[in-house]
This record gives sequence, structure tokens and C-alpha cells, in this order.
Amino acid sequence: MKIKVPKKPLPSLLSLVGYPVAILFSVFSFFQIGFNLEDFKRNLANRSIVTDPLFNPKWEWAIENASQALLETIQIAILASILGCFIALPLSFYASRATNQTTITYYIYKSFLNFIRTIPDLFWAMLFTVAVGIGPFAGVLALIMFSMAIMGKLLSETIDSIDLGPLEAAKASGAKHNQAVFSSALPQILPNFTAYFLYIFELCIRASVILGLVGAGGVGRIIETQRIFLRFDRITPIIVLILIAVIAIEQFSVWLRRKIL
Amino acid sequence: MNIPKQPFNQKILRYTITFLIVIGSIWSASGLEITTERFLTAPSKLWILISAMFPLDLSEEAFSRIVPKVGESLFIAWAGTVIGAIFSFPVSFLAANNVALNMVSRVTKQILNIIRAFPELILAFVFLPITGLGPLTGTLAVGIHSIGTLGKLSSEVIEGIDEGPLESIKSSGGSKINELLFGVVPQVMPTITSYWLYRFEINLRASAVLGVVGAGGVGAELINQLRFRDFPRAGTVLVVTILMVLIVDTISAAIRKRIIKGREVKV
Repeated sequence: MKIKVPKKPLPSLLSLVGYPVAILFSVFSFFQIGFNLEDFKRNLANRSIVTDPLFNPKWEWAIENASQALLETIQIAILASILGCFIALPLSFYASRATNQTTITYYIYKSFLNFIRTIPDLFWAMLFTVAVGIGPFAGVLALIMFSMAIMGKLLSETIDSIDLGPLEAAKASGAKHNQAVFSSALPQILPNFTAYFLYIFELCIRASVILGLVGAGGVGRIIETQRIFLRFDRITPIIVLILIAVIAIEQFSVWLRRKIL
Repeated sequence: MNIPKQPFNQKILRYTITFLIVIGSIWSASGLEITTERFLTAPSKLWILISAMFPLDLSEEAFSRIVPKVGESLFIAWAGTVIGAIFSFPVSFLAANNVALNMVSRVTKQILNIIRAFPELILAFVFLPITGLGPLTGTLAVGIHSIGTLGKLSSEVIEGIDEGPLESIKSSGGSKINELLFGVVPQVMPTITSYWLYRFEINLRASAVLGVVGAGGVGAELINQLRFRDFPRAGTVLVVTILMVLIVDTISAAIRKRIIKGREVKV
């Protein structure tokens, strides 16, 4: 008996064009970044500059000098994620089709949030250090922009997919648009908001570590000065301290998320 | 009318969260010596900086310096993503608890967590004395960080597959390798490929920043122009970077959408 096997469809245009282009671009990129095995081997001989002090950490020095800055880092992250997320909360209602009926303002808010998101966090930090001066305040402002952009994107997409029934019900019983949004759209997205907030808080903790490299406060400032003098024996314990703090805060936030949701 | 009361637990939770948020922000703001007044004057200060950037420096010399740097960032991001994709793909099978042994999966997951905990910039300046100032350092930093993140995401995709195809391969005599190749890979490939592209978008922003420590890319250009107070040229750097990120984001988002949706096949 012969079984009629359906024919395999031809490869799609995307895969026909996409795979060769992706492979060629990868090869081209590796050439452009100057990947060269000879140089790499020669440089690998220099590794003792880093690796020797890396495994010979100076703990007392780090705890004495970096703990204050580490605290500052955490404070920057807390303040920035709280302010950024709460600024983004009303904005994302305007940047969603479900709760904003005016097409023009929808596009304005949506592209405003997209625009903020295209600028990397450290670029914001550089801009703010020039604008408001060097110090943790510039870092806070940079991370506010950072968390606002992420929260705006995540939350406005969540609002797009809410159940429109309660909104209609509120309007049918005589609520104005804003009242309807406040009383029936907001409660629907509050659990998501909390989850996103904790996620963004984790991102901010990670991001605030490096803010100091451009002078925006936090523990990065100390890393930067020691890095210039190649004191990797002082950097290792700081990095380990940061890792411990980051992992502890992440565990706390995972625990809190499970508790709330 | 009889309105049901809100559960007591929920009320406590709500007050605790509000309390935590208020206390947290007050503690942070006082520790950093930040006042409302500084917040209120910040936008106008940023505006002064932005207006100093216009008109942009559109001279040919500026472009011949900036565009190669922006291109370098693009190459770093792509090459880093390729490194991350190649290495994370096999690792993600080891980390998924439905295809690997439980012990192996747990150990691999912890290793991925540790890799993920290092920000790209910190990796970059650890590599800097070894691989030298230049894009190679940035690529390695981006690549290694991507292994951690992509490995985690991919292993979660593998854990969420439908076990049916695996069983049918097993029952028709396929080996464990056959199961992975014909049962797991076809199911997870679309999602994992779209994660690779998504990671490329994130890496693009990361690689733009890496120049700050001298690991190649456009960041060095921006920080130097800002230090020398050459605001029009700093503005050009910003605008060119934003344009590149926007273009790449749009293309990559369109491809991701197409990959996830799949093409229509006439039978």
C-alpha cells in the first residue's frame, strides 16, 4: 500500500534570505571587532596582571571603604524605582488603546515612552551628570528615566489586553471616562504592576552598580578609581559584596512576589 | 445593602506595602540628600543641556568619526549575541529539568545565575587588561553575559514543551538524541530564535554603553564630547545612536513577530 505523504513546503522567503544574511553578518562582525587568535594568545600571557590580584582580595579595605557606597547604591535604586514606576503608572494609561480614545495623544505618549527607552541607562547618567552635577542625584534621575521607560512599555501592553467589560459597566452606570478607568481598569492591572515593580527594582539595583563609572554616585565610583590604578585586589571583594547584595535582594523580591501574587 | 467586607489579610498587606514604599523613599532621599527643590529644578537644567546641543554638529568630520563608532557598537552587539546564542543553546538543554538529570539541571542553573549576576561593564573591565582596549573586550563581555541570560530563558522554553512528540518518538524506537533533535528542537526553535533577536536589541544598548570603560563602541565618543563640553557634537552622537537603535528595534521586532506567528502554509 502506498501512503500519500504530503509534500514538504518550500523554505520561506524569510529563511531563504535570513539565514545567509545572518551568517554573513556574523562573519563580518567578527572581522570588524578584530578577533585574532594570535593576538588573543599573546594577550592571554598578560592575564597575571588581573588574575593574580583577583584571587588575592583585600577584604578589610573593601568593607571599610565600600560599604557606605554600597548603601548609597541601594538607596539610589530604591528611590529611582519607586518614583519611576509611579510616574509611569498614569503615563501608561495614556499610552494604551484600551484607555485612551484620542488617537493623537495615544501616539504622542507611546512614542515618548519609546524614545526614552532607546537611550541606554548610562547615557542618561552621563547627560544628567552634566546637567545637574556629579553625584547620586544624577544617578537617581537617570534610573527614573530607565525604570519609567520599562514600566511604561510593560504596563501599557498589559493595559491593552485587559477585560473591557468592567470599563463598560462603569460607564453604563454613569461614570466619566477617568472615573471608569480608575475604578475598573486600575484594579485589573495592580497585580501586574506589583510584579513589574519588583522586576524593575532588581534591574535598578544592577544598573545602579555601574552608574558610578560616569560619576553618578554609588559603589561604581570606588570601582572606577581602583580600576584606573589596576588595583584588582581591591575590586574583587567589592564585586563579591555587590553580588551578595544583589542576590539577597533578588531572593527577597522573589519571596515577596510569591507572597503577593 | 449588604456589601461584603474586604478580607482582613489583604488590608494588612496593603498597609504594609504602602508603609514600606513611603519609608523606603524617605530613607533613600534623606540618605542621598535629595530635596523636592532639586527635583523641580532638574527638568529645566536638562533642558538647558539639550538646547545647548542644537543646532547639531553636522560637519563631515563629525560624521566620519561617529558613524564608524556606532557601527562598531552594532558589530559588538551582534557578535556578542552570536557567542551567547552558540554557547547557551547546548547549555540550556542541560539546564532544563525535563530533558536533563535533575542534579545536572540544578547545578547548571546555579552556574547560569552566577554568570548573569555580573553586569557587562564589570566583565568588560576585568577583561580589559587581558584583551586590550578595543571592541574584542566588549564582545566578550556582552557574549558572556548573554550566555547567562539566554541560557535561563531558553531552558525555561524547553521546560514548557509538549511531551507528546517525545513520547511518540520514544515509542517508535527513537534514541534520546532523536528525541532532542526531532522532538524538542522543532518545538522550541521559534521562541528561542526570537529570544536571540530580543537579546540582540538589549545588547545593542549595552554595547553602546561599553565605550565608557574603553571596550569599544559609541560610549567613549559621547563621554569624551561631554567632558570637553562640545555639546553640539555630543548631540550628534546621541541622535545617531538613537536612530540606529530605533531602526534595529523596528526591524528586529518585525522579524520576531513573523517568527512567532509562522507562515501560512496551504495544504
